[in-house]
Amino acid sequence: MSENSAAHTGTHRDIAAKSGDVLVSCRGLKKSFGDREVMKSIDFDMLAGDITVIIGRSGSGKSTLLRAIAGLTDPDDGTMTFDGEVVFEDSKRTPAWKQVDSHVGMIFQSYTLWPHMDVLKNLTLAPRKRLGMSESAALERAEKALAEVGMSDHIHSRPSELSGGERQRVAIARALMMRPKLLLCDEITSALDPPVAAEVLDVLRRLKEEEGIAVALVTHDMAFASKAADRVVFFHEGEIAVNATPDDAFNKAEDPELKKFIDAVRF
Amino acid sequence: MNYTFDWSVVTNNFPRLLDGLLLTVEISVIVIILSMIFAIPVALLRMSKIEVVRWLAQLYIEIFRCTPLLVQLFWVYYALPTLTGITIPGTISAVIALTLNLTAFMAEAYRSGFQAVPPEQVEAGKMLRLTRFQQIRHIIVPQALKQQLPVIMSLDISLFKDTALVSTIAVADLMFTANKISTESYRALEILSVAALMYFLIAFPASLILSKIERNMMETGNVRGIRRKSLAAQMAPGTKVEVKP
Ligand SMILES: Nc1ncnc2c1ncn2[C@@H]1O[C@H](COP(=O)(O)OP(=O)(O)OP(=O)(O)O)[C@@H](O)[C@H]1O
Ligand SMILES: [Mg+2]
Repeated sequence: MSENSAAHTGTHRDIAAKSGDVLVSCRGLKKSFGDREVMKSIDFDMLAGDITVIIGRSGSGKSTLLRAIAGLTDPDDGTMTFDGEVVFEDSKRTPAWKQVDSHVGMIFQSYTLWPHMDVLKNLTLAPRKRLGMSESAALERAEKALAEVGMSDHIHSRPSELSGGERQRVAIARALMMRPKLLLCDEITSALDPPVAAEVLDVLRRLKEEEGIAVALVTHDMAFASKAADRVVFFHEGEIAVNATPDDAFNKAEDPELKKFIDAVRF
Repeated sequence: MNYTFDWSVVTNNFPRLLDGLLLTVEISVIVIILSMIFAIPVALLRMSKIEVVRWLAQLYIEIFRCTPLLVQLFWVYYALPTLTGITIPGTISAVIALTLNLTAFMAEAYRSGFQAVPPEQVEAGKMLRLTRFQQIRHIIVPQALKQQLPVIMSLDISLFKDTALVSTIAVADLMFTANKISTESYRALEILSVAALMYFLIAFPASLILSKIERNMMETGNVRGIRRKSLAAQMAPGTKVEVKP
């Protein structure tokens, strides 16, 4: 049985971090692959319910930070806290990480859904196997999650029958099944046409507004960043060069690298 | 040729032949099931991050792929008891040797199936906090089996035919029984033809199903879900090749 199933009851949700509380805090995160320093002592905070857009050139370390927060990669050094618990220190995950890890969801650019299961099974597999949910409870939660992303009609579809945008919305719904407080999205719209991408990103904005879910999003979509982000973080060569509100980042940019980057992306 | 066929030797001995066939099928089914299960851990060990483990798994696989099955069979039946001091009956020896052999081949098929599963799908499983076992059980294995189904089936068909080798260690399978009847009756032609037919009647339908599955997989491309007729499928005899104006 799941040792942390108590963490997923309704009561826990009610005492979830309030908007404005620090949800994620990273201090001095370092990571090298071979002799390539991909994160050079990163300090990074995220508030509960905030949308943080992460931008930066290819290879600057954006995915590495997301993967470190997700628990897919361990930094070489530094500390991380999530929801008030120290989850990483002395180069390893703490026991507290296992208590909170299911509140962190992550969505990828491609191959996100499991192609051999229909949408419903994609959604209910983890809650049933990991949280020990009953079939009917999982179904009920799946229906709600699909409604939130506007995919109710596709509950019995196979991933191969869905468009790219629909797949990403189902992937978001699947992440919602675990009642996340934080969704990490790594270029989830990069393979989509702009209007479809906008629909997917709109779902994230609604989740923030209605559910108070924090989102960390790596994207090249500057329109979304300036409209919906609470913070914009600019990565440059393994360091956070700028961490500011969208207005400050885009309109009052002083960092020369950020200026160059914005010019390059805009047109 | 003035040989007079006498099929009465077949009808008279039919129940014995059926018993032999039954044992052949039983051994095949047990060996196939065991191998399909054991091949999972072996394939995973073969992909282990620990070099020694990977190396040992590969050593096992290569030993069984690069020595004759007959030698493996004799070794388990005659040589292993010398080593362990425990004599094991022929049927058990046969199952052990065939399972060790088929597992080695099966593990390689599984490994390429495992490697074909995009890492993002496994990471999605990790992010939904499925245990390693659950990731393997629900995400990796089903897709790998599906992808490798033609290879797995053809290994199984070969195994079924190769079980005839167990007759050499006095296991009363179909081959052993047929051989025995033909030496008793001097009617090798009738008996061995019927034995061959019996093997054929089981292997042939399986082979037909295999071809059908292969054809389906080719036609749907089976690559990233893109549906397209592969070039080979288009060029197969009897296929209409669409010529664009
Ligand atoms: N598992 C790994 N092994 C070796 N090198 C890696 C690994 N993961 C990332 N890197 C390297 O680390 C650097 C930063 O990678 P990262 O994926 O964080 O960049 P990114 O900012 O997300 O880039 P992109 O916009 O292209 O996705 C790159 O040079 C990459 O090649
Ligand atoms: Mg990246």
